[in-house]
Amino acid sequence: MAPGEKIKAKIRKNLPVRGPQAPTIKDLMQWYCLNTNTHGCRRIVVSRGRLRRLLWILFTLTAVALILWQCALLVISFYTVSVSIKVHFRKLDFPAVTICNMNPYKRSAVGYLLADLDKETNSALESLYGFSEAKPRERRETRSRSSAWEGTTPRFLNLIPLLVFNKDEKGKARDFFTGRKRKISGNIIHKASNVMHVQDSKKLVGFQLCSNDTSDCATYTFSSGLNAIQEWYKLHYMNIMAQVPLEKKVNMSYSAEELLVTCFFDGVSCDARNFTLFHHPMYGNCYTFNNQENATTLSTSMGGSEYGLQVILYINENEYNPYLVSSTGAKVLIHQQDEYPFIEDVGTEIETAMSTSIGMHLTESFRLSEPYSQCTEDGSDVPVTNIYNAAYSLQICLYSCFQTKMVETCGCAQYSQPLPPAANYCNYQQHPNWMYCYYQLYQAFVQEKLGCQSVCRETCSFKEWTLTTSLAQWPSEVSEKWLLNVLTWDQGQQINTKLNKTDLAKLLIFYKDLNQRSIVESPANSIEMLLSNFGGQLGLWMSCSVVCVIEIIEVFFIDSLSIIARHQWQKAKEWWARRQAPSSPEVHPRQRGQDNPALDIDDDLPTFTSAMRLPPGPGAQVPGTPPPRYNTLRLERAFSTQLTDTQLPSEP
Amino acid sequence: QCPDPSLDPDPGLAMKGDELKERDPHLPQPIPGLGKGGKHEGPRPGPEPAAPAQPVEEDEALIEFHRSYRELFRVFCNTTTIHGAIRLVCSKHNRMKTAFWAALWLCAFGMMYWQFALLFEEYLSYPVSLNINLNSDKLVFPAVTVCTLNPYRSVLAGATCLLPQGGRRGDRKKKKKSLLSPVPKDPGCRARAASADQLPRCLTLTGLGCDQNKSDCFYQTYSSGVDAVREWYRFHYINILSRLPDAVPALQEEAPGKFIFTCRFNQAPCTHANYSHFHHPMYGNCYTFNNKNDSHLWMSSMPGINNGLSLTLRTEQNDFIPLLSTVTGARVMVHGQDEPAFMDDGGFNVRPGVETSISMRKEALNSLGGNYGDCTENGSDVPVKNLYPSKYTQQVCIHSCFQESMIKKCGCAYIFYPRPKGVEFCDYRKHSSWGYCYYKLQVAFSVDSLGCFSKCRKPCSVTSYKLSAGYSRWPSVKSQDWIFSMLSLQNNYTIKNKRNGVAKLNIFFKELNYKTNSESPSVTMVTLLSNLGSQWSLWFGSSVLSVVEMAELIFDLLVITLLLLLRRFQSRYWSPGRGARGAREVASSPASSLPSRFRPHPTSPPPCLPPQPDPTLSLVPSAPPPAYASLRPWASPLGSVGPSSSAQSLTEP
Repeated sequence: MAPGEKIKAKIRKNLPVRGPQAPTIKDLMQWYCLNTNTHGCRRIVVSRGRLRRLLWILFTLTAVALILWQCALLVISFYTVSVSIKVHFRKLDFPAVTICNMNPYKRSAVGYLLADLDKETNSALESLYGFSEAKPRERRETRSRSSAWEGTTPRFLNLIPLLVFNKDEKGKARDFFTGRKRKISGNIIHKASNVMHVQDSKKLVGFQLCSNDTSDCATYTFSSGLNAIQEWYKLHYMNIMAQVPLEKKVNMSYSAEELLVTCFFDGVSCDARNFTLFHHPMYGNCYTFNNQENATTLSTSMGGSEYGLQVILYINENEYNPYLVSSTGAKVLIHQQDEYPFIEDVGTEIETAMSTSIGMHLTESFRLSEPYSQCTEDGSDVPVTNIYNAAYSLQICLYSCFQTKMVETCGCAQYSQPLPPAANYCNYQQHPNWMYCYYQLYQAFVQEKLGCQSVCRETCSFKEWTLTTSLAQWPSEVSEKWLLNVLTWDQGQQINTKLNKTDLAKLLIFYKDLNQRSIVESPANSIEMLLSNFGGQLGLWMSCSVVCVIEIIEVFFIDSLSIIARHQWQKAKEWWARRQAPSSPEVHPRQRGQDNPALDIDDDLPTFTSAMRLPPGPGAQVPGTPPPRYNTLRLERAFSTQLTDTQLPSEP
Repeated sequence: QCPDPSLDPDPGLAMKGDELKERDPHLPQPIPGLGKGGKHEGPRPGPEPAAPAQPVEEDEALIEFHRSYRELFRVFCNTTTIHGAIRLVCSKHNRMKTAFWAALWLCAFGMMYWQFALLFEEYLSYPVSLNINLNSDKLVFPAVTVCTLNPYRSVLAGATCLLPQGGRRGDRKKKKKSLLSPVPKDPGCRARAASADQLPRCLTLTGLGCDQNKSDCFYQTYSSGVDAVREWYRFHYINILSRLPDAVPALQEEAPGKFIFTCRFNQAPCTHANYSHFHHPMYGNCYTFNNKNDSHLWMSSMPGINNGLSLTLRTEQNDFIPLLSTVTGARVMVHGQDEPAFMDDGGFNVRPGVETSISMRKEALNSLGGNYGDCTENGSDVPVKNLYPSKYTQQVCIHSCFQESMIKKCGCAYIFYPRPKGVEFCDYRKHSSWGYCYYKLQVAFSVDSLGCFSKCRKPCSVTSYKLSAGYSRWPSVKSQDWIFSMLSLQNNYTIKNKRNGVAKLNIFFKELNYKTNSESPSVTMVTLLSNLGSQWSLWFGSSVLSVVEMAELIFDLLVITLLLLLRRFQSRYWSPGRGARGAREVASSPASSLPSRFRPHPTSPPPCLPPQPDPTLSLVPSAPPPAYASLRPWASPLGSVGPSSSAQSLTEP
């Protein structure tokens, strides 16, 4: 007889009931392996030879492990994206262009507000560096001022005194105004020892910011007096401007007619009406071109500098505030229509007496949000309220977060960012120590201690314009004469003086070409792909399918568990029977020896009980003596104390 | 003679033997390595000689073979899980069906392998797919190098350390002036430097060097006299530089305060820890910020001009060497940490009197190395020695490669590139023809006959910074008074031509988002296997385990064939009379050599018996001992498997 036949016969003989009704787990497994469609399993049973069988078990287990591993890899790599880059050639929407003069307010208009501050700065410079304004007339004024000044105590220098640190004596500083030496008790933020300062000068300039009780002070020193003065001036400037209402500020700044001398777009003339006002706290009046105010977004039909925006800007250098801004020019920012222009951060500077050409190239990006990446569609799921009147962006989120924290911590809002609801800008009338608070908070913000950077997420889709800037001298020597004359005549209403070359700047913004590059992400894997890959893996290693997986679950979990449960149930019953035994010891041995209680009670599962009882008996027919022995042994272990007497009758 | 036993249920091939049962009783321990395989399966057969008497059904051998091909195929056909193949092999007695199934099977087989070939072809072409990630983390500010564009201040050069050579250089400059006069007249002329005491004989204004015996000269003509003079000057400048002792440039190092008036990062002043200094022979004193790879690295957590590096630079040009520095301003370069600053390659100039705002955008490119692309992870597998004390970049490699071939061909090192130990820089006093050699080499380099461009592979991950600049006039008319006087007072230095003497530079991140272009394999091993499995299942419905099944079948066939051959061999050449003796002989010899394996049966039956229908009886003449002995060597790797006569076959009769 062939081994296969033999084993089949043997199994048939030994297993009167097979399958889920199999008496033991081993039988169940044997039955499963013989009947399943999964490769490998049958070979385990069918093979003759222990080594062969062992090898087949190993092969099967290896295949199962490989399937699991590969499927795990597939699942892990499910959330990947594939990127496609498309280039369209079409009519492109022109972006919004925001143009600001670098100087926020005309000096003639804002002068009366800043006069005191300028005066004090002047005198500070004079006593620090022995410098005074070069022009004799102004010097006279300054002198008269400073003489007049001696009577009244200076407002600004008292609030935040400028200090001179001597390199030789550490921990001491001289208040330059009073000449008094004062001890620096607080922590000096930038220690003089390792500041990269200029070799020759031993003096460092800085200022000290204290909290309310003046015990906790932070001293800021600067490697150069230049930065110190500017920073110090800016602080006071923000204080002063925070108290000025918005309409007044708008009036003090430049009007659109003033800033924009000529304007051309797409070969057609345009004027100040195409620009919308946008007031920036640090840059004054800015003007945004193509801001969707009149509901239509302009677009260019052609690439090239002829078809873009061409403006000539009037930048009146005489109206500049010397301590506030040190460079001349304008700032321009190219952004989306609904985007907030962060002009102070990312603007491009425009030089006067120059023609600046900015060529643009548009790239659009669309990304997939959760669970593919961390980006957010519109910022609604970011726990930061957007205080800007613009679409969400990462930068808006960061600044909103900072401003909210500022209002929470310091009680007032920082001047250069919009106001959150129910807050007002910081000024030292109401919040005397806001500057200290602000500096501390800003340090924490930059060092990412406020948690803003982790909360804010980038947007999923955005447009970006790659800029190429080139410069040329403008106007040329020969064209200068007529050009300036014509422009002066044009601007007759606004400006009385003759225009100078260095007061003008030309700006051209255009699409280099009308190609739009779109980077679109799409899911690399779909659920069908995943399933077919699963199928491939299952088929490759074991020729298995979902049905065979179900089969495995059925056999290995449901059937096995039911067998174990039956087993336990049986044991429990036996134990219960044993438990009853002491109450009627005279009946017990007989019942146990011949009438197996399990056999009697468990009528519905005869195969199981027979299988349970069969192995000890070689004849496999008679419910013989051995079972009692096992049971008693078990009972003895469980109830050794109380069953000592019961053991005696069972032993013979 | 024995009958042909070939396809009959052959008694000699009852492989149900287990040599463990036949083991000598006095050898209780099995060979450890071989016995392990069957340990957990069934009771281990003890060494007692009573083993053959045990019921055969319960004791399973380690490995068992079928008795004949027929049985093997019958069992295989009954139990196999391979589809299709079953029909072909196992469809008995129906030629039509067999042919039909053979055709189908071949078709499916062909289809499958065609598909497999396609899949493998795709995989082995190592396709990559591009991923564009947008990251928005805190960014490490890149290293920024600023140079003065003035290698040696002419005043200092004459006065101090350059004195012995400097005097000579002064001569040369005078000579240059005298030479300059003929240039406008005849720009392409080959005016000989007649008074060239130190110069190679052959050197002309336009020809820069000859070989040793002056027979072959290298001539280069310039369309402009300016270029020619500059090139000529540069050549001599290199020679003079090479004579400078190494320590001299260090003496030339100036206090940074002479060049950098103010420095701020993130609104805070820079510290000494943030910058390092080096001297570039063409660009002068260079200061590299943020290059030290330590915890003091600058981090940008916010974009914008206020959160970047802001420098005020001195760009005074009064003491520039006129022929060397033809541009004024400063040179800036943004590069990654631990990358050398190749001011020639990636720098740009800053104009004086202007505030230059440079906005950066970071981009990273990660490509796959290995089979997927030609790139190198860290340059260790590039056959060019890195002469720079920095990490590998393609530019570093190309410079090193050029220097290598320069040293090989010309015997000296080019001064603008670092030199290896024990090699000196080129100088025409020592290497009279290096100019000729250098220019020849440069031509060869640019047409890539040196192989530098093919040798140097691009690094797998590259970080680049896209820069765009904006300019504004600085300082403004209104503020220049106080700014200038403040700068001059503070730095003890009078600015003569005001606006041209200073420049301001801001470098900042435009946005903190940065793009990462990375490659990933578009067909991975997992997807390849999945696709193979899909195809396999589609056409055959078999699996890897089926292949193992087939392998097992083939193995069985081989074993049976071998045994049959042996059997025939034995039956043909051994007479029945000799058989018993021979069997004893052969059986005893392996027993002596391998006592643990075989024990010849004392009563070996005659090797040949007429075939009997009863399989149990047919076992009797089985297993001539020589067969086992010869089989042992190949069977032993499978564990304690040995083709041996089964116990029952020997004892049953």
